[in-house]
Amino acid sequence: MLEVNTLNVSYGNVQVLWDVCLKVDEGEIVALVGANGAGKTTLLNAIAGLVKPASGSVTFLGEDITGYSSNAIVERGIAYLPEGGRLFPDMSVLENLEMGAYLKNSWNKRNERLEKVYEIFPLLKERRKQLAKTLSGGERQMLAMGRSLMSGPKLGMFDELSYGMAPKLVMEAFKMLETLRDNGITVFLIEQNVKQSLEIADRAYVLENGEIVSGGSCNALLESDHVRKAYLGL
Amino acid sequence: MTSIINILVNGLILGGIYALTSVGLSMQYGVARIFNIAHGEFIMVGAFITWMLYTSFGINPLLCLVVAGPVLFILGFIVHRYLFKTLKDKTPVPTAFEGNSMLLAFGILFIIQSLGIYLWGTQIKGYSFMAYSIYLGGIRFSANRMLILFFAVFLCVLFYLFLTRTRPGKAIRAAAQDPEAASLMGVDINKMLALCFALGAMMAGFAGVLLSMAYQLQTNMGLPYTIIAIIVVVLGGLGSIPGSMLGGFILGIIGSIVNTIDPGLTLAAYYLLFMILLLVRPSGILGR
Ligand SMILES: Nc1ncnc2c1ncn2[C@@H]1O[C@H](COP(=O)(O)OP(=O)(O)OP(=O)(O)O)[C@@H](O)[C@H]1O
Ligand SMILES: [Mg+2]
Repeated sequence: MLEVNTLNVSYGNVQVLWDVCLKVDEGEIVALVGANGAGKTTLLNAIAGLVKPASGSVTFLGEDITGYSSNAIVERGIAYLPEGGRLFPDMSVLENLEMGAYLKNSWNKRNERLEKVYEIFPLLKERRKQLAKTLSGGERQMLAMGRSLMSGPKLGMFDELSYGMAPKLVMEAFKMLETLRDNGITVFLIEQNVKQSLEIADRAYVLENGEIVSGGSCNALLESDHVRKAYLGL
Repeated sequence: MTSIINILVNGLILGGIYALTSVGLSMQYGVARIFNIAHGEFIMVGAFITWMLYTSFGINPLLCLVVAGPVLFILGFIVHRYLFKTLKDKTPVPTAFEGNSMLLAFGILFIIQSLGIYLWGTQIKGYSFMAYSIYLGGIRFSANRMLILFFAVFLCVLFYLFLTRTRPGKAIRAAAQDPEAASLMGVDINKMLALCFALGAMMAGFAGVLLSMAYQLQTNMGLPYTIIAIIVVVLGGLGSIPGSMLGGFILGIIGSIVNTIDPGLTLAAYYLLFMILLLVRPSGILGR
């Protein structure tokens, strides 16, 4: 479904991603883990069209989308929950969700989708008139996730979904990802919670200093010495 | 009593025009990050289009709203598409863009003003339209000014509803708050910036049409209106549309009061207020 081929990304003279190759197949949950500053967010930004890669390609559903503008990429069916949620602070919860359905095809269906999101996060319905900037950290992440579902995506990319959530909510958020998968949405996630994400994902990649150093089934990674030492503290 | 009501109503009329001239500028700055010094020139063009259509062809000035509006929208769109967009592509640093865009706007100011002088000369122009009095509750008001007030409020409300209730309006507000996140929602940012600029020029055009019905016109009238709009925008809070509307009416009423003391002091009073504001509350009334 999503294929990244020998992608290189630099900020000015500083190269951040080095020959990154990975793929996400339809119906999978794939995790990308790595230390702070490894380049995870940069990779998602490059896929989503927010930064232009120096070389390499990104293919989605057989179409080469390298260098497309970010709005063109959303239109292809990729929803991206950026790091920190990036809500519209001075808009209400409802308006933030509506913005998620901004695309022409989604806009007409926004009310049905809204109902679905409210079903998943009843709290958002309660708070629909509240300004996004007045939400708590966990509520914000819920809203950000709800908003990314409003476009009816085929692939959802989540950058640190569990950021700022209480442990119990993290569990729920991870369960949510499985629900999404069961509803036909492929999931690509970045997480600080390495153990938990490896437990729910089908496959995972490990990014270190801008290079993919290992990848494979989560079970295998959970057993590998390197992952256990570097990420699980075992 | 009568005179107090008169001063207030005159203030509201002036305020209506100020509000209308300022919302466009506020949006252009809030979303497109363009400090459009040429804003007043779009007001001048709107006013002169109306004057020309009325005095040469007898076309009703109110009808000119539907002529001048689209003309200025298109003019604004072209100016953004070919000038500001090009500048933005060449200046990747946002703060540098803000500075350079102001310089570019200065250029546009002089070009539009010169074209205006070429077409319409430098003499004071005007026409009389609905220049009669109406009596409301025994108090005399001039009909054309009441019409200006009505349409200024009406257009402001319409503009506000557009921003808060419609899909493109919400996209404009989202883009003002976080352009990158808006683009992740599928908003085409470049299109949105051009739309903002065009809408701002259109609102300026509307203001020009309305004020031409009761005030004198001159091809160099643009800059004073720009300066007043800047004061209003700062008064209301940079980038806040409701703030600009409120600020417009407040400044109008202040202007009307000072006007009864000595008309020559009006601009000085505006500047005084502006300076006090910058020192005491630079974020404006409704600013963040
Ligand atoms: N806009 C930018 N300009 C210059 N350097 C940047 C920029 N964004 C990120 N970097 C640098 O690129 C490297 C990778 O950053 P990135 O945000 O992709 O890391 P990350 O893996 O997402 O980290 P974290 O887990 O802390 O979110 C870092 O060294 C960072 O300082
Ligand atoms: Mg990151």
